[in-house]
Amino acid sequence: MTPEGSLLAAEGLYKSYGVTPALDGAEFSIHPGEVVAVMGPSGSGKSTLLHCLAGIISPDSGTVRYGPHTLTGMSDAQRSALRRTEFGFVFQFGQLVPELTCLENVALPLRLNGTKRKQAEQQAREWMERLEVESVHGQRPGEISGGQGQRIAVARALATRPRVIFADEPTGALDSLNGERVLTLLTNAARDTNAAVVLVTHEARVAAYSDREIVVRDGKVKDMLAGLI
Amino acid sequence: MSLLRSHAGTDGGRGGERAPTVPAPPGPLATPHTGPARWARDLAMGMRFAAGGGREGWIRTALTAAGVALGVAVLLLGSSVPTLMNSWHGREKARENLGQAHEPRPAGNTVRYASVDTTFRGAPIRGRLVRPDGAHPPIPPGIRHLPGPGRMLVSPALKELLDSPEGALLRDRLDYTVAGVIGDDGLLGPQELTYVAQSATLAAPDGYRIDHFGKSWDPPPMRAPVVLLVIMTCVALMMPVMVFIGTSVRFGNERRERRLAALRLVGADVRMTRRIASGEALFGSLLGLAGGAVLFLGGRQFASVITLWDVNVFPSDVAPGPLAAALIALLVPTAAVLVTLFAQRGVTVEPLGIVRNRPPIRRRLWWRLALPAVGTLLLVPLAWQRPWTDTPLNTIRLAAGSMLLLFGVTALLPWLVDAVVGRLRGGPVPWQLAVRRLQLSSGSATRAVSGITVAVAGAIAIHMLLTGMQAGYTHAYAQSGKLPQLGLWGTSKGWPQTQRALAALRGTTGVTAVRGAIDGLVGPMPLAGRAPARGARATVAVGSCAELRRLARLGSCRDGDTFLTDIPDRDRVIAPGATIDLNAPLAEDDPVAPHPWKIPGTARTARLIAPGHGPGTFSYDLLATPSALDTNRLNGPMTEIKVDFDRATPDAVEHIRNTAARIDPSMNEFSAVDNPHTQQYTSVRNGLFVGAAITLLLIGAGLIISTVEQLYERRRLLSTLDAYGTRRATLGWSVLWQTTLPVVLGLGLALGCGLALGSLLLSMIDSAVIVDWPAVAAMTGIGGGVILFVTVLSLPPLWRMMRPEGLRTE
Repeated sequence: MTPEGSLLAAEGLYKSYGVTPALDGAEFSIHPGEVVAVMGPSGSGKSTLLHCLAGIISPDSGTVRYGPHTLTGMSDAQRSALRRTEFGFVFQFGQLVPELTCLENVALPLRLNGTKRKQAEQQAREWMERLEVESVHGQRPGEISGGQGQRIAVARALATRPRVIFADEPTGALDSLNGERVLTLLTNAARDTNAAVVLVTHEARVAAYSDREIVVRDGKVKDMLAGLI
Repeated sequence: MSLLRSHAGTDGGRGGERAPTVPAPPGPLATPHTGPARWARDLAMGMRFAAGGGREGWIRTALTAAGVALGVAVLLLGSSVPTLMNSWHGREKARENLGQAHEPRPAGNTVRYASVDTTFRGAPIRGRLVRPDGAHPPIPPGIRHLPGPGRMLVSPALKELLDSPEGALLRDRLDYTVAGVIGDDGLLGPQELTYVAQSATLAAPDGYRIDHFGKSWDPPPMRAPVVLLVIMTCVALMMPVMVFIGTSVRFGNERRERRLAALRLVGADVRMTRRIASGEALFGSLLGLAGGAVLFLGGRQFASVITLWDVNVFPSDVAPGPLAAALIALLVPTAAVLVTLFAQRGVTVEPLGIVRNRPPIRRRLWWRLALPAVGTLLLVPLAWQRPWTDTPLNTIRLAAGSMLLLFGVTALLPWLVDAVVGRLRGGPVPWQLAVRRLQLSSGSATRAVSGITVAVAGAIAIHMLLTGMQAGYTHAYAQSGKLPQLGLWGTSKGWPQTQRALAALRGTTGVTAVRGAIDGLVGPMPLAGRAPARGARATVAVGSCAELRRLARLGSCRDGDTFLTDIPDRDRVIAPGATIDLNAPLAEDDPVAPHPWKIPGTARTARLIAPGHGPGTFSYDLLATPSALDTNRLNGPMTEIKVDFDRATPDAVEHIRNTAARIDPSMNEFSAVDNPHTQQYTSVRNGLFVGAAITLLLIGAGLIISTVEQLYERRRLLSTLDAYGTRRATLGWSVLWQTTLPVVLGLGLALGCGLALGSLLLSMIDSAVIVDWPAVAAMTGIGGGVILFVTVLSLPPLWRMMRPEGLRTE
């Protein structure tokens, strides 16, 4: 049963890698503008849940619904199109294209959606300003700091004005000061655009930026607010 | 590790005297060991890493080994050419005797021997007639006993031809019973068509007497264009191979650097890491060396089915000399180590990763231009002093000039790629990704593509040279072959025999006209007591009135008449009433007694029908009927016949050859019917084309490996891009553009360099500059094929690496 008004919801998700179960009947829902922190220890299935919710991988069973669409019934091409247009992503590392400048990296999802180069770069520049990294627009990822890189990644995730942002340990490689700055900018920007944020983390400090927390343990989900498993 | 503080042994066995709870004070720092032992230990450690790196390590080592093996196989093949030609010529020398300065007297151990080579449908057939004088004649290699009278021993290839329906006409010509097969020792190659037959009628004018086989003969020096061709082929083939070996050794370089960083963390110093890296490369190259040897040994089995420039050899002939083999065995691993060390210049392996302390390379143009400029400077004077002469200095200049020009292309390519991609802006996402990737680092792509550039430039130049050479022959044959005519000549056995030959030829299928006579050279009588000032200076033709009428307009003619022709510039000695020498020496030191003959005073003038020195023409000074001049008094009288035939009659030429063989097997043929050069050049061109295609595929394989390696290094990024919803096609196109840009630039450069080099080479052989456009198109087409080949084969790993598994960190 999909919770009423939810933007993205999952029911009975099962996923295993070989004989190791990663998700074991996981449930999830998120509303527009909501920030949900997905917590849990290493290997609990947090990232797998995020990947299933984003349509990056298909669960072995269960359903993921995005508005009226059922992701689990979509083809790979349809899910790719959905990710391109509706979702944004921030990962821990390895996400910026090293040969592109920071501006080009932020403009990349827009260009993948067919936006003209100049227009894409104009929009990208605005997001970079907002995330306070406009000064590095002409530099390549290898030439900037980790904190700046992560803000570039956030700008890139927001550039297409996605309805859901998936952030997998977005501050895992940053010091606390930089981490907090990135989270503030990410959550503020998401709330301003009414985007939902699925924030995977194992740090309580990071989870504090969310509206709601869920905990994944042994592939099962516990909603801290509802106290349900 | 040597740099770690050493505690072992510092207490000198007094450890028991210390309180166990008190940590030992820091000992002195160990001195780093150096020297061969240290080198050997580190190299061995590197080799262990290469061998024990798990599945991934083995794949990387196998790729390096495969690349080196292919290169080594080509090097071994190239270095086999001199030994191959030596054994080929050696067998030719062992089975031949072109005549002895002092012909032996007939004895039990002598044999009369004659060459009766022929041609069948364009294929040359080596034939030898023997007639033993006694019971113990000399026997050539590959034969146990000489065949009996009317019998012949044939090569396996000739036997196959004679046994086949296609050989029916040839069976008529070689009218001997096949008594056996000649062994490999008596053959130049397995495809050679040859036979040895015993003729009971072989007599003095035909052939010569010998008492042994094996000649003191050296192969004639290769003609200058052929030398040019060989040098160019070596240069053009070897350079991409060297480039490819260099590329292969660098496979997995980034991964290796990360491993070395881990070693630094546990105490290895910078020099150690370099030695360990060299050990890894050494292992791959040693495996490649062994693999190359196996590949070469397997590949040479195909030598027997390949004929290049009439050279067909046995697989066992394809063997490099011991020195060349030793050099390859030594230089390839050394080069692998040097390339690895060179790749690490400017890179410092630190415990926490790699520091590239080399400033961004600004590719300078001046020295890159200097290389081809010096090459051109070496070659242009050679082109001016046409025709090219084969001297050691010229050979060195040519090889050095060509190498510099070709190497200059490889040096120019990185600059060109940088210069072009640096100016590229805009474009769709795949294009942008590719251009940006090349802007950031184009080194590995241009390294691989430089091999293509050398191969294509070299192949274009060689094709141009071949085309120019072939065009020269084709033109000459086209001029000579306008008349469907065949010339036959052989030792004269008197007029009646010549007359029978003429009649037999006239009755042959496809023959439209036959003209012939016995001819000989005549000269002035030598002055008493003095050697002749000059040799023979005029030609006389002897034949019946009917035959002479086919050569000149005689007016009335009866047997016994003599005619002076209207040929211009005839020597004044040839005049009615003059006495001339029928046994005129052919050379000044020819010790022959004069045979005086007085030109009858009644000799009249006759007008030659077709005077001249070309095909279909005659240049006789004097015509005589058989009763007027005894041909036996001439010095080496020859029967010379010209046969016109109908091109439309199938196998007319083969029928004429059969008739000629029946008349006299030793009769020679002079014709422009079969242009052997066409077949020779076509086979060389095909061989070259196949070689260039294989080289390009080799380089394509290198490109695939470096592309896949690059994708592997970026698999997390690819997974992230996939998470963003990036289409597979977008990244597929970016791989295509990333391959296309350097390859297209390389091909453009190769085209310019190849055409320039080809033009210079053609100028050297004084040939018109002809561009072999189909070959150029084919080579560039193959280059384009390589792009597609690389892209298509890179797509499956690309898509595999775009899977979400790359995002998993646990």
